[in-house]
Amino acid sequence: METFEKHLEQQLNALPRERQPDKDLWQGIDLAIQARSDAPQTKRQPVWLASAAVLMVAVIIGFMMQPFSSAPETDPLTGQSLVKALSQQHEKEKSALLVSLEDTPAVTGNWQEQLTELEDAAEAIKAALQEDPNNTALLRMLQSVYQQQFLLIERVHAPKWQQI
Amino acid sequence: METCKADIDVTQIAPTPETEMKLIAAARDGDRQAYQQLYKSYAGRVYALCYRLTADRGLAEDATQEVFIQLWQKLSNFSGQSRFTTWLHSVTANITLSYMRKQKGWFARMMNIEDSIAEQSTAESCTSEVDLEALILRLPERARVVFVLHAIEGHRHEEIGRMLNMATGSSKAQFHRAKQLLKTWMGYDDGDI
Repeated sequence: METFEKHLEQQLNALPRERQPDKDLWQGIDLAIQARSDAPQTKRQPVWLASAAVLMVAVIIGFMMQPFSSAPETDPLTGQSLVKALSQQHEKEKSALLVSLEDTPAVTGNWQEQLTELEDAAEAIKAALQEDPNNTALLRMLQSVYQQQFLLIERVHAPKWQQI
Repeated sequence: METCKADIDVTQIAPTPETEMKLIAAARDGDRQAYQQLYKSYAGRVYALCYRLTADRGLAEDATQEVFIQLWQKLSNFSGQSRFTTWLHSVTANITLSYMRKQKGWFARMMNIEDSIAEQSTAESCTSEVDLEALILRLPERARVVFVLHAIEGHRHEEIGRMLNMATGSSKAQFHRAKQLLKTWMGYDDGDI
């Protein structure tokens, strides 16, 4: 009988290098990279900017947990209701962030145009979600675009020394 | 055995090194079509690694998307000193591990995943016909991740320790644990080498 080590090595060598996902993931990737800058970024973003993203992840997880953790009489948040609740929460957080940075000068002049582009991207994803409300890839794209909005707002209002 | 797309050889034809460098350069300049070509060429490799690390198709798909979204911004970091696929595997592993950390709390609670469940799995009845891929997916998470990174991806335990924020010795211990479980599941006795 062959040894375990030899058998394992043979099996490892026989493992396929590739495995195709069950669905085409490109559309979601393309949407996300369109929502970001036109070209890949070369500068590293400050670590502290991740705080907004973490906040949004917590919001998402909170919503995703709700169907499992809330009282039985509460309707679970799924599909369109989840998108609606998520969007409302995002708008609330964004407004609060913008208000808190009102007195801080922006370091670039066109940041509001960039923000509008991201808002347009979010609307496009929400439109796609109307057709396919439970598409988790699209939900994550929406989450990603919302995170980008927070990052943009924080980045353009950050002191210059923090942007290096 | 479970039938899936992976059972069919749908390997994309890898671009030649010259074409690959042209595609990378174009994608760095913002050419999304060039980037889509890179995606088509390497999505299978990236997904395979994500799937082995996460052991969950949905998470692997999400992680694959995350990898290609972040890769778009990281392409400028590729120096060309190593092979693109080597660099891609390293980037994929790091992004996927980071993604798993973010997801773990929620995912583990939802799916009630415990390491002990995997350890209770029964041994295979036959040692010759073994689906190693399926057995790897049954391994407890830490043991699985270390096994995939060391035995399949070729990372040293020192590297794995840094990637997983664990001691080198812990990585070795998890690898040993993974091998012991695989040995049992493959139908070998403890005394077999």
